[in-house]
Amino acid sequence: MIDRGLFGIALGCSLLCVHGTVGADEPALTAAFEKSVQPFLKSYCLSCHGLEKQEAKLDLSGATSVAAVVQQHQIWNEVLTRLTAKDMPPETSTKQPTEQERSAIIAWIKALQQHEAERNAGDPGPVLARRLSHAEYNNAIRDLTGFDLRPTQEFPVDPANEAGFDNSGESLTMSPALLKKYLAAARRVAEHLAFQPDGLSFAPHPMISETDRDKFCVQRIVAFYERHRVDLADYFEAAAHFRQHQGKPGVTLETVATARQLSPKYLTTIWTALNTAEALDPLAELQAEWQTILVEPEPTAVRQRCEKLRDLVLRRRQKLVVPVEKLHMKGNSDGSQPLVLWWNREQAAQRMRSAAKSDSPELDAARNRFCRVFPDAFAVSSRGHYADAKLGAQVRLLTAGFHLMQGYFRDDAPLCELVLSDTQRQEIDRLWQELNFITLAPHRQYKDFLFFERAEPPRFAGGPEFDFARPEDKSVTTAAMLNRMKDAYLAKSKRMGASDAILGAVETYFDQMLADTRWIEQRQVAAGPIHLDAVLALAERAYRRPLSDDERQDLRAFYHQARDQERLSHEDAIRDTLATILLSPHFCYRFDQAAEGTAARPLTDYELASRLSFFLWSSLPDAELLKLAAAEQLHEPSVLAAQAHRMLRDARVRGLASEFLGNWLGFRRFEDHTGVDRDRFATFTNELRDAMAEEPQRFFIDLVQRDGSMFDLLEAHHTFVNPVLARHYGMTIPATRSEEWVRVDNAAHYGRGGILPMAVFLTKNSPGLRTSPVQRGYWVVRRVLGEHIPPPPPTVPELPKDEAELGELTLPQLLARHRDHVACAACHQRFDSIGLVFEGYGPIGEQRKHDLGGKPVHVQAVFPDGTERSGLNGLRRYLTEVRRDEYVETLCRKLLTFALGRSLLLSDNATIELMQTNLRRDENRIGSLVETIVTSPQFLKKRGRDDPRP
Amino acid sequence: MSNRRTRISRRTLLQGVGVAMALPWLESLPVWGEATPTNDAVAPKFPQRFAALFMGNGINSQHWWANGAGAEMELSRSLAPLEPVKTKLNVIQGLFNKQATGVGIHPGQTGNILSGAALQKGAVLRGGVSIDQVLGQHWSEDTAVPSLVLGCEQPITGYHETNFSMAYSSHISWLDANSPVPMEVYPSLAFDSLFDNQGSQRATSILDRVKDHAEHVKRQVSRADQAKLNEYFASVRDVERQISRTRTDKDKAEARAENRGRSLASMPRPDNGLPEDLRDHMRLMTDIIAMAFQTDKTRVATLLLCRDLSGLIYPFLDVRTAHHPASHDDESEAYERISRYHVSQLAYLAQRLDAMPEGDRTVLDNSCLMFLSNMWSGSRHDSSKVPLLLVGGLGSTLPTGRTLDFTGQEDGDRKLCSLYLSLAERMNLKLKQFGDADAPLSGL
Repeated sequence: MIDRGLFGIALGCSLLCVHGTVGADEPALTAAFEKSVQPFLKSYCLSCHGLEKQEAKLDLSGATSVAAVVQQHQIWNEVLTRLTAKDMPPETSTKQPTEQERSAIIAWIKALQQHEAERNAGDPGPVLARRLSHAEYNNAIRDLTGFDLRPTQEFPVDPANEAGFDNSGESLTMSPALLKKYLAAARRVAEHLAFQPDGLSFAPHPMISETDRDKFCVQRIVAFYERHRVDLADYFEAAAHFRQHQGKPGVTLETVATARQLSPKYLTTIWTALNTAEALDPLAELQAEWQTILVEPEPTAVRQRCEKLRDLVLRRRQKLVVPVEKLHMKGNSDGSQPLVLWWNREQAAQRMRSAAKSDSPELDAARNRFCRVFPDAFAVSSRGHYADAKLGAQVRLLTAGFHLMQGYFRDDAPLCELVLSDTQRQEIDRLWQELNFITLAPHRQYKDFLFFERAEPPRFAGGPEFDFARPEDKSVTTAAMLNRMKDAYLAKSKRMGASDAILGAVETYFDQMLADTRWIEQRQVAAGPIHLDAVLALAERAYRRPLSDDERQDLRAFYHQARDQERLSHEDAIRDTLATILLSPHFCYRFDQAAEGTAARPLTDYELASRLSFFLWSSLPDAELLKLAAAEQLHEPSVLAAQAHRMLRDARVRGLASEFLGNWLGFRRFEDHTGVDRDRFATFTNELRDAMAEEPQRFFIDLVQRDGSMFDLLEAHHTFVNPVLARHYGMTIPATRSEEWVRVDNAAHYGRGGILPMAVFLTKNSPGLRTSPVQRGYWVVRRVLGEHIPPPPPTVPELPKDEAELGELTLPQLLARHRDHVACAACHQRFDSIGLVFEGYGPIGEQRKHDLGGKPVHVQAVFPDGTERSGLNGLRRYLTEVRRDEYVETLCRKLLTFALGRSLLLSDNATIELMQTNLRRDENRIGSLVETIVTSPQFLKKRGRDDPRP
Repeated sequence: MSNRRTRISRRTLLQGVGVAMALPWLESLPVWGEATPTNDAVAPKFPQRFAALFMGNGINSQHWWANGAGAEMELSRSLAPLEPVKTKLNVIQGLFNKQATGVGIHPGQTGNILSGAALQKGAVLRGGVSIDQVLGQHWSEDTAVPSLVLGCEQPITGYHETNFSMAYSSHISWLDANSPVPMEVYPSLAFDSLFDNQGSQRATSILDRVKDHAEHVKRQVSRADQAKLNEYFASVRDVERQISRTRTDKDKAEARAENRGRSLASMPRPDNGLPEDLRDHMRLMTDIIAMAFQTDKTRVATLLLCRDLSGLIYPFLDVRTAHHPASHDDESEAYERISRYHVSQLAYLAQRLDAMPEGDRTVLDNSCLMFLSNMWSGSRHDSSKVPLLLVGGLGSTLPTGRTLDFTGQEDGDRKLCSLYLSLAERMNLKLKQFGDADAPLSGL
């Protein structure tokens, strides 16, 4: 209290040469520097922080002029803090300044800071060109390709700048070794290209092997069928719902179906079938059953009845499946492609028909009506052997059912006719066309046919008249060769006495093969220029702006050179063009063109789009941002603010959580944390480790997306857990899938809530077999409160590595001894106590009552403000009541540093102040900070090319 | 010796058809990073090479044996083509691949022959990286093409009745657990893949272009930014230089060799399209490997002479039955001729390499050619042991002229993957583990 009083008086009389603090001019500052500051340094500072000795690694001897102090403004801010707190000179020092001397220096530093800030107000600062950080590169590739390929996974870790972020030119460098990795990464990404008839897309895996292309195309089709799988019970239930609510406004078959993600078309078909009087089975039986469902009052009972009704339909339907006999051909295998395909087609054609089983045409007609509504299958995604879905990964998909030979067969007419909308039908048509185009399935199927017929018993085409057709020969699928084979095959079939049906099957086989292979070849020719255009479109997304005409020419020329001079295939040439784009500085660097002269210029709308997206998403701008940039609207403050808020709600804000929060609070790369002794802590599995690292990100994403208060980080009583983390925290949560995260509102009940008691921080700041109140407290004051703590002197007494080896003393007692050490006390009293309140959490953040040595833990401590506080809640109150402003200012400074991609300057202080003011106005909402930043002059401008400032 | 007269630029060669090309590789020429010839006292270090030649469906076991050692070695009828190189031959009996047993016949016995991995049935392929690809990566910085993956028979990808994909029958080289390496069947394209349009040249083209981009950008940004972009620019140039170094050295070596009038290996670019006769096809593929090894374009090759469940037909051997059906009568005279024919491909490649001097030895002496099949007996689909031959001393790291029989040893002591570990070790690649083996083959 006495201190504060004196301090106030000191400020009051700190006139010196500075006339008030506002408007101090340069000569006045220089005069004061020479008259007071330099002598002060010499008397009280330089003997420990000078040329000879650099206690705490601090050297003030460089402060030979005002300009030099300005350049070291961050160090001098620390000097200001220490002087104000009267930490320096230390009590042990024999020479102590008078209060007046001290106040004068304090006032001078403040005046200088203000002078500098005003002089350079709005300076965009030196934002260096820089390559994308590994995280940004990964995210950009994810947004370009649609798949999280993580090509930089194996790269060496990016270095961080002074503020702890790895997104600035100050720390991000390039080297030949790294460039080689970039080249390899670019080429690897290009291997994921899928060449479609109408453009380019990407696959989650490389697309070089035939089998990988098969996998890609087949899985997309199977996924489509899975999305459109028909459960009749769903439709019956929807029909019952419609029946109950019929007549209410807005209730139509269409709306009911849409709300339940069912096909309106098929629901209408079923509704009609259920409600059109039918005298004969199976529809009559079905309708009678249906009527009884409608009287069920309970929804669950209705569902059960609908499932029963579905099972009834399936049973009745099963009996009406039309049997199709296979064709048999003398001298040929039943597995011959023309015969198998004929059989598949015949079966597919019967899916909506009934077997003719009775003598009554009326009954047959009724059965046909039933089968038209209820096909025996909607879409067949596996057939023949190994068709059972229970086989999991071992099931065969979409195959034609050949032995040894590759071949696909499409059999989904009922789905297309009864269920799919026109758009959906076009989509599945396109997927099947792409299967043929991408995998060259027809060509390969035909080559397998040649192998099978010529080599495998009974070797129908084993004779010398078929010798011209070798599967290895690429020309076997030319029209001439196909027709020659057709003639020879038909001739032999006739010789063997084949029936007309067989001859027809053979003819159809060759005609279809000819049509399919021709279609592919024509589309291949047409697709060439389309792919080249598509790769240019990718370049625009990668470069975050439209290409200039020269750039278009340049990329086209590269492609043609690869084709014509290096004789690469079309696909390889496109892949290399893409690799060029991904290695180009236009993609993997961020830079803004500088205007000539010294004056700053506003960023273009495209540059702004990138600034926004790399700030909030750590990735490329999306289509909406680019569209606003193209319309030259993005720079308008209201548009900017609206976009910032939109982006904060977007899932890509995970980039901000991992890159900003992760670096600020120091939990990035927790996956590399090896500090836990897994023998002693068997519950610390990789899954738990990953869940720990995920918790603060989930928390932050939620906070940002709902635009909550930034004090939630400290004060919240909720958190997010998945089952493995919940178990670690001893929480009972509703049973969920193992990867599922849920919000826990009463986390405080389990000693959690907000970031402070999150296991990731408690674990990261524990050296293994004991906790570390020192590290934990240091983490709070340094990371959360932004205190600058000098490094420990080299002669630090070590603590035992294992709590069990502490002997008679407890950890708090040991630490108290440590603080008796003069060299340690000055700093440790600033954070030890804060760390001690976490003693209720063990080395992996688990709650505990006893330490590993079996002694009860104590969570009380005397805080730096002299009050005794206890546990997490004591700390929370301390932070939000006593240290509130420091927390706010730290968060503002860190966020602005991250947003700008450079260290802060004194001239940024006005923006920092504005952020704090706006924050108060906006109920501490985090979005307020972001909005203030993206509309600040620093964010919106770029320094002139010849700006002389450092 | 018309080589010197007909030597023309590669570019022209690539565009032309059937032009003889000469690419020398000479013993006295230092090429590994040195610009001047080494002192004669320093033994030049020559590259080691590895090739695997695969034949599907087994051999005729009645005629697959050898007795004795060195020049006295007695070779069975099927091995007779190796007579001229038998002092450089190791006949290895009794090895096996555990994961290729007990899983049903054919594809499951094949797709892991060079990886030792367990294979997955059904729609999703899963195996393991093959030893040739591991070695190719090991040397990828040193050669234009990390590995050659060639075949004389088209791969097929349907399903076998065991529910293994036929891709396992068709591919012995695997890039990783999920993807077989696409195989080149056309000799002309295999030939092209060795020259300038592949690998390092492609990287150089990309680097050239992005260097231009950086130049362009540098003109538009501030001085401080230029410094950052210079870092990028310098890195690009450095990598370019690294990549071209090997090539330049080789070009120089070529020029010097020509000046000294040494005898040169030569090979015309094969015609486009597929050779009509299988004999020509196999000959061309082995020639390409020989030339690639001699010129150090690559040090690793696999050649699928025929796949498992092969449909190749050998009218010139007076066998009209296709390979796979013929293997069901594996002790027949006809199948012996088929087996011997495949061994003769190995013998041909070995002799070609043996005719290429390198130091005081030959390219064959610095190589290891491995011939193997997936079965011992095609009629019984027996993979409890596999036929295996090694030719070449692998740079004096592998004694030759021996018959080694592991039959009857404990399963753990006769693993194919142990052999691969041993060979990799001799090629300066120390692997703790490969496939199902964590120890080299004792007794090699």
